[in-house]
Amino acid sequence: MDKILIIDDDEELCELVSEYLGVEGFTVECVNDGEAGLNAALKGEHDIAILDVMMPKMNGFDVLRALRETSQMPVIMLTARGDDMERIVGLEIGADDYLPKPFNPRELAARLRAILRRSADTSDTNANENLSVDGIELMPAARTVSLGGGDVNLTSVEFALLHELLKTAGNIIKKEDLSESVLERKLSPYDRSLDMHISNLRKKLGPRGDGSERIKTIRSVGYIYTVV
Amino acid sequence: MKLFVKIFLWFLAAIALMVGVIIFVTRTFQTAPMESRWQRATRNQMQIYGGTATQIAAAEGENGLRTYLARLRDVDPPRDVELVDSNGKVWFGGESETPESKDLTARTFASGAVETDFSSEERSLGSAPVTFPDGRKFVLVLQWERPAPQGLFWGSTLGYLRLGGLLITALLLCYLLALYLTSPIRKLRHATRNLADGDLQTRVAPNLGIRRDELADLARDFDEMAARIESLITSQQRLNRDISHELRSPLARLNVALEIAKQKSNAETAPILERIETESERLNEMIGRLLTLAKLESGDENIERVRVDLTELVRDVAADADFEAKAKGKSVELTKAAQCVVMGSENLLRSAVENVLRNAVRYTSDGTTVDVQLAANNGHATVKISDHGGGVPEDELTNLFRPFYRVGEDRTRRTGGIGLGLAIAERAVKAHKGTITAKNVNGGLEIEIGIDVAEARTK
Repeated sequence: MDKILIIDDDEELCELVSEYLGVEGFTVECVNDGEAGLNAALKGEHDIAILDVMMPKMNGFDVLRALRETSQMPVIMLTARGDDMERIVGLEIGADDYLPKPFNPRELAARLRAILRRSADTSDTNANENLSVDGIELMPAARTVSLGGGDVNLTSVEFALLHELLKTAGNIIKKEDLSESVLERKLSPYDRSLDMHISNLRKKLGPRGDGSERIKTIRSVGYIYTVV
Repeated sequence: MKLFVKIFLWFLAAIALMVGVIIFVTRTFQTAPMESRWQRATRNQMQIYGGTATQIAAAEGENGLRTYLARLRDVDPPRDVELVDSNGKVWFGGESETPESKDLTARTFASGAVETDFSSEERSLGSAPVTFPDGRKFVLVLQWERPAPQGLFWGSTLGYLRLGGLLITALLLCYLLALYLTSPIRKLRHATRNLADGDLQTRVAPNLGIRRDELADLARDFDEMAARIESLITSQQRLNRDISHELRSPLARLNVALEIAKQKSNAETAPILERIETESERLNEMIGRLLTLAKLESGDENIERVRVDLTELVRDVAADADFEAKAKGKSVELTKAAQCVVMGSENLLRSAVENVLRNAVRYTSDGTTVDVQLAANNGHATVKISDHGGGVPEDELTNLFRPFYRVGEDRTRRTGGIGLGLAIAERAVKAHKGTITAKNVNGGLEIEIGIDVAEARTK
C-alpha cells in the first residue's frame, strides 16, 4: 500500500483527506507544520508527499527546497488558487505536480496514482532499456540520468518527460500525447505545467556544446528532442 | 503658459513699470523746475557780472577790467568771455565768435538788459550790458558748456552700472519669487499625479520644508486626504484578501467532505451531491479570481519585467480558447498576428488576454466566431478581440471593467459568468501602463488592449 505524507497546517482538512484517501486505498500520515513535515519526508518512509504552500513558520516552498537538496521524493504542491506565481515557483523548485486549493479530492487521488505509477515504472519491460542519446545516459531501472559522466537530478515527472523525448528523439511529440503519457491526464486548455516541466528540464540539461537548444518547442504542436 | 513663467514675467513687468514711473516723475516734477531755476539763476548771475564789470571799469580802469574778465574766464569749468563794443569791435576775448553770440550782442544793445540763449543743447550763452566811465557802451558775452542733464541710467558709466544692477536684481528677485511660489505647486501636482497613478503612499508636506503659508496648508490637507484614502483602500483590499483566504479553508474541507459523502451516496442522493459540487466549484473560482484581483489592485505583486513574445502568447491563448469554444459550438479565430515583443509579466499579460477572450467566447452567440487580431505599429501593440454577442448598451461600456458589474441579470445567470474576468484583465493591463477599451462593433463587443512594445534589442 502506498504511504502518503500530508504536510498541511489545516488539521481538519488533513483528517478529511486521510479519510477519503483511506477509502481510496492509501495509507496516510499527517503532519501539521513545515519543519516536522520536512523531517518526516526526509526519513524516506513515504512514497509521496502532499505539500501545502501556505503554512506558518516554514512554508511549502522552503520545505520543498530543503527536501530537494537530498531527495527526489515525488511531491504534489497545494497552491493558492488565483496565484499563478505560486504554481510556477512550485514547479520550478521541483514539484512533480500542483493542485490549486481548494481541490477536488478525486483529482488529487488521480494525480497521486499517476505520479506513483510513474515512479514505480521500473518493472515496465518496454521502458527498461537504457537509452543513450547525445551524451545523455538514461537508465530507467535505476531511474538515473547522467550527462557527460555527471549525474543530473531530475524529479519523476522530468525523468518521465525526458524518457519520452529521448525514445522518440528526432521526432515531434504532441503536447496532448506527452500530457497523457507523462502527466496521465488529458491536456486541458490554459494548463501550463507541461511547459514548466520542459523549461526545468532545459535548465537542468543546459544547451549543447555549440549553444543549440536540446529540446525545441514546435509552436502549438509539441516538442522535439533535436538530433545532430 | 507655465505658472512659473507667468509669475516671473508679471513681476518683471511690475518692476519695469515701477522704474518707468519713477523716471517719468523725476523728469516731470524735478528736472524741469530745476532747469528753470537754473536759468533764472544764470540770468541773475549775468546781471551781477555786468554790474561788477561796469563798477570795476569805473574804479580800476581798463587793466582792472581785463584782470576781472580773465578771472571770469578761468573759473572751472572754463567759459568763453568776450567784451564787444557797439560797433562790433572785440575789446576782450573774441576767439569764439558765433552767429548766436553776435545775435545775442545785438539784442542786448537793443534792449540794454541781460539776455540769455538756452536754445542750444550744448552751449548756453548769456550777455549783459557794461558801461565804461567814459560812457562807451559794451556788451559782455559769456559762453559755456551746458551741463548735460545727468541721465539716470545712460550716458555715463555710473548710469549703466545702475541699470545693470537694477536689471540683475530684478531678474534674480523675480526668478526667486516665481520659484518660491510655484515649486510647492509643482510638488503638489507631482504628488497628485502619483496618487492618481495608484501610489497611495505619496505625501507632500515633508518636501516643502518649513513653510507656514496657505500652500503649506494645502499640502497638509492633501496629505491628510491621501492618508485617509490609503487607509480606506488598503483596509478594503486587506478585507477582500482576508475574506477570500479565510473562505478557502472551509471550502477545501467542504470539497473533501463532499467527496466522502459521494463515496457513501446512493442513487437518491447522488444528483444533489453533484449539484453541491457544481456550486462549490463556482464559489471556488470566484474566490480565486477575487484573490487575483485583490493582489493586482494592491499592486504589491511587483511585476518583473521580462521580454514576452506577445505573438506566441496570443496564439497560445487563442488556441486554448478555441479548444474550449469548440465544445460549445463556437470558435475562436486568430485572423491577424503581427510579430511583437513587449516588456512585462507573461502571467499577467496571459491572464489579461485569456480573461477577455474567455469572456468573448462566453457571450458570443452559438455558432459564431470570436475574432482575435494582434497588430503592431508605431511601437504600439494592439490586441483586438471581437465577439458576436449583441454588444453592450453604450452607457454601460465603461462599467464593464468594474468588479462584479453585470450587463443585465438574466444574461449572466444563463452564461454563468462571475463578473471578474474583465476587471482582472483591466488591472493586469494597467499594471503594464497599457490601455483597455470596449466598444460596440457590428453587433458585438470589441475589446482592445493596447500596450507599448519593447524596444528592439539585438540578441
